[in-house]
Amino acid sequence: MNKIPYPKATDLKLFTPDVRVSESKYGLPLRVEYCKRCVISNQRPNSAVEYNHTQSSLKATIFFDEEGVCDACRFAERKLKQIDWDEREHRLIELCNRHRKSDGSYDCIVPGSGGKDSFFASHILKSKYGMHPLTVTWAPHIYTDWGWRNFQSWIHAGHDNYLMTPNGRVHRLLTRLSTELLFHPFQAFMFGQKALAPKMALLFNIPLVFYGENEAEYGNPISDTDSAKRDWSYFTATNQDEVFLGGVNVSDLKSSFGLDQNDLQPYLPADPNRIEENSVEVHYLGYYLRWHPQSCYYYAVEHGGFEASPERTPGTYSKYNSIDDRIDDLHYYTTGVKFGLGRASYDAAQEIRSGDITREEGIALVRRFDHEFPSRFQDELFEYLSLSAKEFPQLLELFEQPLMDREYFDKLANQFRSPHLWQWVNGQWKLRNPI
Amino acid sequence: MMRRQSNFRLIPRLDIKGPNLIKGVHLEGLRVVGEPSTFAKGYYQQGADEIIFMDAVASLYGRNNLSQIVRRAVEEIFVPITVGGGVRSISDVTDILRAGADKIALNTAAINRPTLIEEIATQFGSQCVVLSVEAKQVGAGKWEALTDGGREKSGLDVVEWVTRAIDLGAGEILLTSVDHEGTRRGFDLPLIRAVSAVASIPLIASGGMGVPEDALSAYEAGADAVAMARVLHYREHSIPSIRRLARSNGLLVRPYE
Repeated sequence: MNKIPYPKATDLKLFTPDVRVSESKYGLPLRVEYCKRCVISNQRPNSAVEYNHTQSSLKATIFFDEEGVCDACRFAERKLKQIDWDEREHRLIELCNRHRKSDGSYDCIVPGSGGKDSFFASHILKSKYGMHPLTVTWAPHIYTDWGWRNFQSWIHAGHDNYLMTPNGRVHRLLTRLSTELLFHPFQAFMFGQKALAPKMALLFNIPLVFYGENEAEYGNPISDTDSAKRDWSYFTATNQDEVFLGGVNVSDLKSSFGLDQNDLQPYLPADPNRIEENSVEVHYLGYYLRWHPQSCYYYAVEHGGFEASPERTPGTYSKYNSIDDRIDDLHYYTTGVKFGLGRASYDAAQEIRSGDITREEGIALVRRFDHEFPSRFQDELFEYLSLSAKEFPQLLELFEQPLMDREYFDKLANQFRSPHLWQWVNGQWKLRNPI
Repeated sequence: MMRRQSNFRLIPRLDIKGPNLIKGVHLEGLRVVGEPSTFAKGYYQQGADEIIFMDAVASLYGRNNLSQIVRRAVEEIFVPITVGGGVRSISDVTDILRAGADKIALNTAAINRPTLIEEIATQFGSQCVVLSVEAKQVGAGKWEALTDGGREKSGLDVVEWVTRAIDLGAGEILLTSVDHEGTRRGFDLPLIRAVSAVASIPLIASGGMGVPEDALSAYEAGADAVAMARVLHYREHSIPSIRRLARSNGLLVRPYE
């Protein structure tokens, strides 16, 4: 593998206000449009299978219909008006009846962090539907204090739990690589988030897995919401040699970085043949129950003493969602850089669709918070992303500068800015087409 | 310190967002409860001593639109009304008082520019200046004042800030515990004790009222009044039942029924 260079200086001529922009990065639509109902733009990428995410990957983006309304808002409308939730709940009960055990063993796996959504999922499966869930957790990169407390509250509200904490050395290397090559510091977490539960299902022979809401609720093709089951491609792969982690092929990770199969095992997808043989089914609880994140918050407070974050998350106004991993701060900052959509955009879009805030309020929140730099944990996060030769002897052949600091990060960020989204005005980055 | 011999007041607090009465937990996850004037009128008829209207997210959204709601409320409500949320200038105060409010509550704008308290007190009198404090515990016996609906840190220590605001002319304190707010687990009593120890002016405890007995504990900790939201909005307890309990425990309350 070629040595990863120090981030190059950005050619600011591409970013002047009056330049004619004729190309976009990542295959994003050249003309920016905003949904007429929420605050999401047509730049929002669909969920993708991370195992083949490389520097040259192109993004499929959210669909807007002829009325300028996004698929996520259309789905929200369906949730409200079309879907027969009684019939869906009936099907959930049937599914549970088929799997429920009375011999003392677990009958389903619920992955989660102990956030409001996983709290709701496992607690309601147990208390209302009589299931015996085993909860499994793929640890965040770096817990926040309140995230750890909520995780404990979740378990002690009545759930057994396995916590899988991946080897920090490998996790940090993969996170550095995904940041460096894909500007995606959250990727290493996402591998486990999607694959751990099905793999635990194989390990413990518990063939039913429940995730919470379907990602499609946030804008994947609306047809994805027609199925209760998660597409296998998110957590399986037939040929593991074609798997990329942090944008680097598995064989390169082994030859260049000295990692072995055991180091990579936690990140690798499950074998689809074994999933098939063991009849593992991965379902979305949000297919059967009408998901409302704010109600999950109330539910988790009521039944388990869930606590909101003591401060709003940088880049947004909210205090109750995705609050357990310090690296989340950087995650949404990077989506802001790459797609022009920061954390407030995602939060406000969801709350508008759920009827919790109005579009006017959402716009005000996006304008106020969306691209704020998350400085609160920055020292710790940059230290986390900095690698040392003690840990990786061949480091200096692989990185021109193993140390990550704010200057490095900002320069790197600029390499991921697309000229169709950003302009450089009076020494500041500004969106060309803000909402 | 000698207890003031004034009545212990029971004050419904109506948090407003846009046209709606809302309620959250820790000032987060704001839920629509209903139409504000209907609730306000009901509380007046039940014997509320005062009513607080608080647009807790006005600063968050950079707006101020309570005067409409106040104008409508004063036609049917004949007890003192306090209005807070997004009050940033003398002209905002003028508008709200002209609409019929008796007091205004200040938080974010006062923290950004403390002399605003002095300016308002000089022009309209301290009796109409309520300092609204959103207190978040940051250590044993330490609280920080937050702004923007419990979302931004100010770096100010609550006790020091209250002391300074009283010097500048604040006439009353509305002390909200962000930690207890919306949880029904009782008031943050150490917080009330810490603030009442330095407050020579009336103190309204807010955040955490779950059962009528909580009002007694707030009184014992030094509060002159309690603000209540969730317990009343969701009809878990009524003002008359809380008043009866207070009276039977020897608190001075306004004779009503």
